[in-house]
Amino acid sequence: MTTQAVRLFRRMDGLFAVYKPQGVHWKLVRDTIESNLLKELNSCPPPAPQLAVKFQLLSSGANNGSKDLILSPSMLPSLADHPLVTGPQFHKVHVGVGHRLDAFSSGVLVLGVGKGNGVLEHLCRSHVTRDYTLEGEFGRATNDFSHTTRVIEKTTYDHVTQDKLEKVLAMIQGANQKALITYSQMDLRTQEAYELAVKGLLYPHGKSPPILTGLRCIHFNPPHFTLEVQCVNETQKYLRKLIHEVGLELRTSAVCSGVRRTRDGPFKAENALTRQHWTADCIIQAIAHFRKTTRKIRKSGMHGQTAGQLNSSTKIQEQIRSQIGQSDQSQEHVELSSPTSDKIVDRVTPGTG
Amino acid sequence: MALVNMRSCGRPGFHLCLRAYATRPIGSPRKREQQDDTPVFQYVGQHRKPQEKVFVWGFSYTGALGIPSFVVPDSGRKKPRKYQLTPYRLDTEQKISSAACGYGFTLLACNTKDLTKLWGMGLNKDSQLGFQRTQHDRNKSYEYVLEPSPVSLPLLNPQETRVLQVSCGRAHSLVLTDSEGVFSMGNNAYGQCGRKIVEDEVYSGSHLVHKIEGFDSRVTQVACGQDHSLFLTETETVYACGWGADGQTGLGHHNKTPCPVPVGGDLAGVKVQQVTTYGDCSLAVSTDGQVFGWGNSEYLQLASVTEATQISSPRLLPLRGLGRVRQAACGGTQVAVLNEEGDVFVWGFGILGKGPKLSESAVPERVPATFFGRSEFNPSVKVSSIRCGLNHFAAVTDRGELFVWGKNVRGCLGIGKHDDQYFPWRVTVPGHVKDVACGVDHMVALVKSII
Repeated sequence: MTTQAVRLFRRMDGLFAVYKPQGVHWKLVRDTIESNLLKELNSCPPPAPQLAVKFQLLSSGANNGSKDLILSPSMLPSLADHPLVTGPQFHKVHVGVGHRLDAFSSGVLVLGVGKGNGVLEHLCRSHVTRDYTLEGEFGRATNDFSHTTRVIEKTTYDHVTQDKLEKVLAMIQGANQKALITYSQMDLRTQEAYELAVKGLLYPHGKSPPILTGLRCIHFNPPHFTLEVQCVNETQKYLRKLIHEVGLELRTSAVCSGVRRTRDGPFKAENALTRQHWTADCIIQAIAHFRKTTRKIRKSGMHGQTAGQLNSSTKIQEQIRSQIGQSDQSQEHVELSSPTSDKIVDRVTPGTG
Repeated sequence: MALVNMRSCGRPGFHLCLRAYATRPIGSPRKREQQDDTPVFQYVGQHRKPQEKVFVWGFSYTGALGIPSFVVPDSGRKKPRKYQLTPYRLDTEQKISSAACGYGFTLLACNTKDLTKLWGMGLNKDSQLGFQRTQHDRNKSYEYVLEPSPVSLPLLNPQETRVLQVSCGRAHSLVLTDSEGVFSMGNNAYGQCGRKIVEDEVYSGSHLVHKIEGFDSRVTQVACGQDHSLFLTETETVYACGWGADGQTGLGHHNKTPCPVPVGGDLAGVKVQQVTTYGDCSLAVSTDGQVFGWGNSEYLQLASVTEATQISSPRLLPLRGLGRVRQAACGGTQVAVLNEEGDVFVWGFGILGKGPKLSESAVPERVPATFFGRSEFNPSVKVSSIRCGLNHFAAVTDRGELFVWGKNVRGCLGIGKHDDQYFPWRVTVPGHVKDVACGVDHMVALVKSII
């Protein structure tokens, strides 16, 4: 007979997204989530103690005269399963972290619980893109590219205008699009490569340096500016360095005052849990919300392994990506009725292309 | 850092040393005045204007790139550089407004009122760069010019006239000025320089720069084919002269023409906005967006209107689905047009830009806009100009990016490798590309810096 705690534990299986605040190490977030889950599990009322037959030496009863002690059986609660004896029932919940975020950044952090950790591995291995919002400030250069560390140099920035910034961003994006195709490791002289390139499906499967698939400026108010970046294989330090390099191209210097991840694959910031909601109920609700997404990631990962062709699984991942990208874009431009972040295209049978 | 040693106890022989340092204790914040002491550097002033630069790449042994150290290295340790596979900056004295690449030579023009308006480099065996006086003998001319050298024009008012456009063919070149008409120099074996053909004329070391006469009005555009020349006048009529064996002069016959003659055929009475040629096929675009063609059609360039391999008279090309054509460019065996929406259509023979399978087409094929950078992030990127070399294409988008594709003859594509490119590929140029000139095995790009 399953107890309430065990039933609760069995519901903790899957992926969900958490909003990591700035200044906090990702490990602290993971530990907090784990301890919250454990607290909830261990605070469930323990089952009623089992009764066991015990022989007790009791006095003979009504007659107070005789002082004989008689061995009499009775059902008494067994203390072997008492929580004060055994300790808390649950002392470990497997909580895994997806693509990590360093302490300076904030944003969506994907965590997996229980069986979801296997799916997390598929997600990490697949090449989904991530969206970031970068805040930059012209005029200073620091040793760590962030706005809190030691200032190395100060420069003027009154010559920077929005269209110069746009031109620099266009140049950077052009170089990155070229890198996207170059690192795809396909022979570009074949018809197959041409077909993929037309559809925009030519991108690196294996290892590659960080590549930005999209870059644009969403806010410009000198000295502050905000960039929106869509990237693959990146680290947050690379993104801060990107801000610094944008400053260098504009013949000034720039520091990064904020890195915020708004999307990690199919997990968006709207569905990420904030600090108040890091309780077991909210987490289980979030897991249920992402159940379909999790299933699709698991299926596409397994399909890639069984088919044995890297091409088809990554094609599917790319279709996931492009679908997400399209749904992003369509949400921005047109108020469409349906596309949500969780909608992922159906599997494509192998042998195409 | 002052060290103050205080004796807190008066008893001799025993003193409790209390050292007070003048530095601040750990953990207290630094005062604001110290933080703002760092000097502020100014790398660029507020009103800095972008710089114009010239980039070259391709085959360098002809001297067409204009960098002598590629052909004759400065120091003994260096090796000569035969192919420049990526864009290389060419230092010019003046801002270059127009450039043209011929078959192994280049002309750069600046629309200034100074005395030196034109520079040439590369092959000069037919004096296509004018007379380039040698250092040691003032009667001899260089056959290979390795550095941009001034080309002198016999102008009546050299301090008033500006050079508007230059164009280069196989062994001749045309220079268009604003008030003194068109000048031609180089080989005239077929009359392509617009003057009477002289039998057994020696073109090497010739001083002759001919001012072409015979136009009804001012010439607004010139185009050089392999051995013929096309002129577009202010009255929007087209003139042609030169070799006509393929009908590329469009004058209705296949003979040489030494003087410019107005072109008839389907172009009679049509207002033309642009003429283009580079090989033996010629195209004209009318003001209402129609395309007319004549000349060589062996590679299906004009197959939409005829099955003949040569057309000696301009014919209207009945191409559908192109929209309104804004610009056309002719190569040796292939043709490209650009319409008002910024779409590029290609047809002909060779590497057309739609993969290795498409090697010839008689009907225009649209090159997908995703190759030019159009994506979800940038849905409105358009191609703003298109050019053709002998075996390759170049397209410049409105965002200032340069895309090339085609046969990579001796590194002319500038993509860093010797492989042919079967779909449009970005050329990494540090700046905003304004214009590009394509030759047989080299290219020149006029670039504006961003800051």
